[in-house]
This record gives sequence, C-alpha cells and structure tokens, in this order.
Amino acid sequence: MTFHDQVIAILPKLRVQALSLTRNRAAAEDLVQDAVCNALAAQNSFIPGTNFSAWMHRILRNRFISDLRKRRETTDIDDVPASSFASPATHEDSLALKDLSMALSRLPADQREALVMVVIQGMSYEALAEATDCAVGTAKSRVFRARRQLEAWMSGELPTNDKLRVKVKALRDAMDARHRAGQSSDDLMLS
Amino acid sequence: MTAGDKRKSSVSDTREEEKDSPFGIWLSRGLHQLFDDVANEPIPDELLRLIEEDRNK
Repeated sequence: MTFHDQVIAILPKLRVQALSLTRNRAAAEDLVQDAVCNALAAQNSFIPGTNFSAWMHRILRNRFISDLRKRRETTDIDDVPASSFASPATHEDSLALKDLSMALSRLPADQREALVMVVIQGMSYEALAEATDCAVGTAKSRVFRARRQLEAWMSGELPTNDKLRVKVKALRDAMDARHRAGQSSDDLMLS
Repeated sequence: MTAGDKRKSSVSDTREEEKDSPFGIWLSRGLHQLFDDVANEPIPDELLRLIEEDRNK
C-alpha cells in the first residue's frame, strides 16, 4: 500500500478523531483536510514500516492544538456550540443520546478523544498512547476519567450549568401534562 | 509471566470490565450512534482530489 493509499484508508478514523476533538462537524472536516495537507507536506519524514496510523493521528492532534492556540488569542474554546457536536436531530431523538452528547462536550478534549478512540475505533491503550504521544498510563487514565465522569453525570450528578436545563424540561413536561388534561398551567410559572 | 505481561494483562482486564458493565455497554452504544455516521460518510471529492494531485506530482 502506498503512502497515499494509507492516507485515504485512514480518513474515516481521522474524521472520528477530529469530531471528538472539535465537537463540531464543519470544524472536524476542516481539521481533517488541514491534517492531510500537513501529512502530504511532511511525507518524507514518515519512515516506511513504522506505525502510519499513530503518525497520522499525531499530525491531526498537533494541528488541532496549534489551531486552538491561535484561536485562543481571539476567542474562547467554550464558544464552540456544544449542540453542534454530532448528528442531525433525527439521529438524536432520544433524550439520553442528547444528554450524552452534551455531557461529552463538557469533557476535556483529551479525555473525549481518548474515550472515542478506544470505544469507537477499538484502539488498545498502547496504540492510543502512541497516537496521542503520551505514556500508556496517561492514556488509560484519560479513558478511565472520561468514563467515570460521564457515568456520574448520566446517573444524575448533573453539571451546575445543566440544572437550569433540567428545571426547564420538568416545567415543560408539567405544562404539557396540564394542557393534555385541559387544565391551566399558569400557576406552574409562579412556582 | 514477566512483570510486563502482568501489567498488560491487568490493563486489558480493567478495560474488559469497564466495557462489559451496564454503563459501559450503554456508553458504547451511544457513542456509536453519535460517531458511526461520521466515519461512514463519503469522503469529500475535494479532499480526494488533493491527495490524488499530490500522488501524481
């Protein structure tokens, strides 16, 4: 397989990594394209027979970090809209999936990336460590912390900023129930 | 078994345990629902063209 064939073959995995880092589909597409440009420009530095996948994932990650540093001079990372994380609304029709999407967007980028690469791409901790340029223990710890944090959030320990969302949903549900029963819901707004 | 083997086995055991817990199974399903579409989308022509142009240089 030639260098270029390997680049094409790894594109789906790069997209997943890019989305896990950027939380935004359009930004992820741009990041993949920029990473591919960097890889093509640096192809002579790739040693055939070494781990192409790890090399390519590191290029994308470094590009993301470098873009982030540039952007931080003018904007804040939290300005990226969390709601644009993934798929069209039809694919996120369950509340639990929306909640997972929101919770994921609150994780630190390195934990989110580690979790996705292990769960979606089936990477071993060793491969993850090589792809993200860190120790195996660090890779394992990122995945572990991501899982634990998500489990805490998804089992009811909601982040502070989410409390309002939960209250609003409860209010809406109560109002819907009153409307269905033909009752007034004015008093709910006063409680 | 060497110390390295023990470490490896312990890492993979923990991974299997986390993966097989009810939350682990739910999380894996959820992540696949959120990310599989992205992985399966066709590659944009522009990106393929960029790679092919470089190949033919």
